[in-house]
Amino acid sequence: MKALVTGGSAGLGQAFVARLLADGCDVVSLDRSTADGAANLFQINCDLGDREALDRTVPAIVTAGPYDLVIFNAGVNATGRFEDIPEDVQLRLLRINTEAPMVLAAALAGSGAMVRPSKMVFVSSLSHFTGYPGAAVYAASKDAIAIYARSIRRPLLRLGISVSCVFPGPLRTDHARRHAPENADASQRMPADDAARDILSAVRAGKATVILGKQARIVALAGRIAPRLVTWQMRRFIFEKLSATTW
Amino acid sequence: MRRKILITGATSGIGLALATRLAPRHEILATGRALKKDAEKILPANAGYIRVPQSDPLVASATIREGLRDVGWTGFHNAILVAGTGYVCEAQSEDPVRLRETLDVNLAATILIARACLPLLEKTNGRLTLIGSTAARGSSHIASYCASKAGLAGFARSLRSEWRGRVSVQILHPGPVATPMHEKAGYVPGRLGALFLSPSTMAAMLEFAVARGRSPRTLSWFRYIGGESIFGRRL
Ligand SMILES: NC(=O)c1ccc[n+]([C@@H]2O[C@H](COP(=O)([O-])OP(=O)(O)OC[C@H]3O[C@@H](n4cnc5c(N)ncnc54)[C@H](OP(=O)(O)O)[C@@H]3O)[C@@H](O)[C@H]2O)c1
Repeated sequence: MKALVTGGSAGLGQAFVARLLADGCDVVSLDRSTADGAANLFQINCDLGDREALDRTVPAIVTAGPYDLVIFNAGVNATGRFEDIPEDVQLRLLRINTEAPMVLAAALAGSGAMVRPSKMVFVSSLSHFTGYPGAAVYAASKDAIAIYARSIRRPLLRLGISVSCVFPGPLRTDHARRHAPENADASQRMPADDAARDILSAVRAGKATVILGKQARIVALAGRIAPRLVTWQMRRFIFEKLSATTW
Repeated sequence: MRRKILITGATSGIGLALATRLAPRHEILATGRALKKDAEKILPANAGYIRVPQSDPLVASATIREGLRDVGWTGFHNAILVAGTGYVCEAQSEDPVRLRETLDVNLAATILIARACLPLLEKTNGRLTLIGSTAARGSSHIASYCASKAGLAGFARSLRSEWRGRVSVQILHPGPVATPMHEKAGYVPGRLGALFLSPSTMAAMLEFAVARGRSPRTLSWFRYIGGESIFGRRL
């Protein structure tokens, strides 16, 4: 079995790579930086925020397949007041979180680089259900990718590719620590390794929508029933407590 | 009150109908990708025009800033960001050039234009209106278009909260409207097309929705038969 993981050198991506290697898979990791090597790990370097670089790298990614599993995990955040975050940072965020996985998904599905049957996984965010004042463009990027995943699920199923979308809440990664308000309680966050394990088993079971843990499911439900109230809570607990602009 | 209103994508379809409807009562600054001489042929005579191609988001926001400075607006009341594009295709054969164009024009450029408008909208406690689509819920042959509109919805939801008390932010989701967009997108509506609202009806519904300021709001056929193109409050 062969898997492709984007952003495999840190955080949740690293946890996916470790789990998959432990399960005996061949893993191709696509990232800007290189991680520690392993026997069945093949690394491709590419900055997903750079269009030309991505277009140049696509043939190598296709050749390294075909894949039984693809996880579009790479993502960045930018937190602070919307107007305080520079334009080029916002544009780059949209390219990494939304555009790159869409371009790659189309390229892989259209080129025979996916085994039939196989799985394709997009990583959105629990913010899809809550809104995210203090990260308005991140929220946009994650809503966009969630709806892209939903839109292509049926046509790709006809090609033997089953599409899932994951909506993680706060994880215990460097990424989350950097962007959370200063004295936020990290013990509430899910360890990346647990998240990777639960996501992989839900994806293997063919679930279209993956929300991790009871707490996250309650938040998602609340966000659907009372969207304004939940976004207001997010404003109080995140936006009003952010002391700096971070990207 | 005579308002100063910026409308993007005002050279065709919904944006043009809105500019035409509002121009007799308000000061309109229209934008589009067409050349000024071509835009002036179709826009109402008293509307201003600046050419703002949105395929490069950084250029779009810079051009908007410059254009607002050139017309001498130091503050304005409404930014209604209508410009949009999309293409019908199968997900697995989507051309990356079109995919990127859809995201850039609809999502990235709209986001950066919103940012460029903030200082001038804030002076009047004005309103930012984004145009989404009922397709923001997802649809298989226009996946990138749906993604771009869902992105706008997520952006509007969070920004509305962030800007509370400064600038009011809303997103309006029109249902199908009989505009040139469908032909440009390579879509033939067939018999279903008979159910599409006219651009001028949608413009009326939009005006009332902008006047009320609620968000998110779906402007569909059901709202139309409920009388929302006739009985609403004017801007
Ligand atoms: N029609 C519908 O059924 C429907 C339903 C829901 C939502 N919407 C949304 O409503 C908005 C208006 O749509 P419409 O039906 O009125 O379409 P339209 O007639 O094609 O008008 C779109 C406008 O956007 C402009 N535009 C397109 N690409 C651009 C670019 N790269 N740079 C700058 N301007 C650009 C167009 O300029 P040109 O005139 O030069 O093409 C035109 O002014 C869009 O955001 C659309 O997504 C439409």
